[in-house]
Amino acid sequence: MRDVAILGVGMLPFGRRDEDTLMDMLAYASMKALDDAGLGNGSVDAVYVANMGGGMLQHQTSIASSLVDRLSLLPAAAETIENGPASGASAVKNGMLAIASGYYDTVLVAGGEKMREVTGWRATDFVATMTHPQAEYPYGITLPGMAGMFTRLYMEKHGVTREHLLAISLKNQEMGTRNPYAHVEMALDREGIYDSPHAVVNNPVAADPLHLYDLCPVSDGAAAVVLCTVEQAKQRAKPYVVIAGFGQATDTHTLAEREDPTDLKAVTLAAQKAFAMAKLKPSDVSVAELHDAFTILEIAESEHVGFFKKGEGGKAAAAGKTRLGGQIPINLSGGLKARGHPVGATGVAQVVDIVWQLRHELPENRQVKNATVGLTVNFGGFGNNVLAFVLKRVEA
Amino acid sequence: MSDIPITAYKCKKCGKIHYPFHDRCLKCRAREFETLHPAGQAKLLTFTQIFNLPWGFDERFLIIGIGEFENGVKAMGQIQADDIAGLKLGMKLKPTWAPIRRVYDENVYGLKFVPGA
Repeated sequence: MRDVAILGVGMLPFGRRDEDTLMDMLAYASMKALDDAGLGNGSVDAVYVANMGGGMLQHQTSIASSLVDRLSLLPAAAETIENGPASGASAVKNGMLAIASGYYDTVLVAGGEKMREVTGWRATDFVATMTHPQAEYPYGITLPGMAGMFTRLYMEKHGVTREHLLAISLKNQEMGTRNPYAHVEMALDREGIYDSPHAVVNNPVAADPLHLYDLCPVSDGAAAVVLCTVEQAKQRAKPYVVIAGFGQATDTHTLAEREDPTDLKAVTLAAQKAFAMAKLKPSDVSVAELHDAFTILEIAESEHVGFFKKGEGGKAAAAGKTRLGGQIPINLSGGLKARGHPVGATGVAQVVDIVWQLRHELPENRQVKNATVGLTVNFGGFGNNVLAFVLKRVEA
Repeated sequence: MSDIPITAYKCKKCGKIHYPFHDRCLKCRAREFETLHPAGQAKLLTFTQIFNLPWGFDERFLIIGIGEFENGVKAMGQIQADDIAGLKLGMKLKPTWAPIRRVYDENVYGLKFVPGA
């Protein structure tokens, strides 16, 4: 297999983007990535588009075919990839493999989702269609509900407390205020959401034991990357980022069928595969973007990828070890919790944020000094399809 | 025949119990199963109370949990309770087959657990 580099990245600010269609967002993010790659007027061999809900929410299908036309990238190959909230990383993986195989040299990967143009209960129902259609969905279970059941067990078995969850909310929303691409640019006050009588109103229970500020927002947004051969990246004569490793694994569709529902086997396996391919270990990672659709997931994933032992992730977060300047900074973008979670875009956005970190392009209040290795984890369903990437900076 | 018309599947080779259906056993990949239905009371494995409901529900909240029946079948169901104050992991639940939602003005039936059986 050939090594694969990331030549260009682009992202639109996430949030509520009433003025843009899904195709507008995909096109704008793609143009930014093409410009960043130095391909403003150039071409690519193939386009992979990550999108989960275009068919359901926008009544639009064949989105990749539409994007190549919109961007005048014809006759590039084009495919839309739907893999739930892991669609973004799946599209990056497919682009990477296409180049690694030697079949293509340059690939554009774009991920986008427009979720805010439907009502909250429609958006909740759309996301819930990932659950099992007979054994789960009819009961009214939602993804926050799945996370609530998982959290109750994780608290019981691994000693996670509301204080630990709170540490994630506070950290990630603070980082959101430093990220111009974040959906939620509002710092939280501990007293306002936890310690005072007003917290009951400000931060109500959403899916017990999870509260409102344990959940990511429903967002519109898009992100894109241009992948290429290492030889192409070297021609730019400046530091670049390679996909040093990737891993993907699956788990049972229903939570009930897992021997230990608190064991996120797919996260562990995906990370192990990614580290093995990169010939690196968790302690080599400078910065990580983990899939914190719910605060509990940042804690659980930080343990399952090997940053902390089981039962230590919550304590580490509360002790500041996952903040900027800490032992392993996690979600300095604000994560899904603050950057937002337009489901098809998230896995691509995680890669974009890590590329910015590894190119040392972020402002001081978000940049990990001398970052060389980054990890992303994109979590589909409720952990039934997970992808991890290890990205590495290469000096020119 | 159980009062709960859920069909679970026991692998004829290794004995692993599945619900819902899989074409091959999740443990040994054998393809032959005998069917069984949830039997006896259920033990509450985990639960949540959700307030942001999906399209199709008019309730203010739902309480949903996973129960493990005495014959090893594990399944999700709604829990009939006014709040979660009385719920505890490991407690006994009485399974019933009752309306869980309405679609086109018709009741849809499913598993509904009653606490404190």
